[in-house]
Amino acid sequence: MTETRPSAGRLNVDVSPGRTAAALVAGWLVPGAGHAVLGRVWRAAIFFVLVMGSFGLGLAHDGRLALYSPKESFLTGLQLVANFGVGPADVVARMDVYGEAAYNLPDPSAASYRPRIEKFRERQRSAVSAYGTAYLWSAGLMNLLLLMDIWDIAKRRKD
Amino acid sequence: MRSHVAHLVLYSGIIATFFAVLTRRDRREQLRFLGLVWLGMAGGVLLLAYLMLPFPR
Repeated sequence: MTETRPSAGRLNVDVSPGRTAAALVAGWLVPGAGHAVLGRVWRAAIFFVLVMGSFGLGLAHDGRLALYSPKESFLTGLQLVANFGVGPADVVARMDVYGEAAYNLPDPSAASYRPRIEKFRERQRSAVSAYGTAYLWSAGLMNLLLLMDIWDIAKRRKD
Repeated sequence: MRSHVAHLVLYSGIIATFFAVLTRRDRREQLRFLGLVWLGMAGGVLLLAYLMLPFPR
């Protein structure tokens, strides 16, 4: 890392490919951390609060933790991307809700089908589930946008 | 929280703040952009709701 000119609350650093990769990984693991790795600490803190706040609101309002279904592969696939964008927090949420890191809807003949689909439907029946889903998926999509922002900053396309 | 309006205000606030910080660098510009996006989202929804008044379910 070569530090050049500190300015306006952040460090102006040259970004090596290794640091870029580290920022991308950190940014996916912990929303905002990628910006911190690149020296944008205040922005990182704001993004962390926004993304994790939205994620927390989503969970608190019974947002949909999507399950992949081959019958609706396109839509459920997109939903999974929105959920998974937020990083490992999604795995932790699934373990809390489904009792395991569940990402697909099993075959109806499987023993795990009934408890999983019932938990899924129970959350869907909640009066605030639609709000929760909006918060939850927005959190994941915001974090994916942050990864693109990290890339742009590393490539010096953005400040 | 079950209030539609509270969710409208909160969700618009989160999204507006996110895009203001993401796309603008100057603090003043960020606040201006945040206000515009928030007003666009919250105001747009209220306007749409008003226009839908003559068409109840």
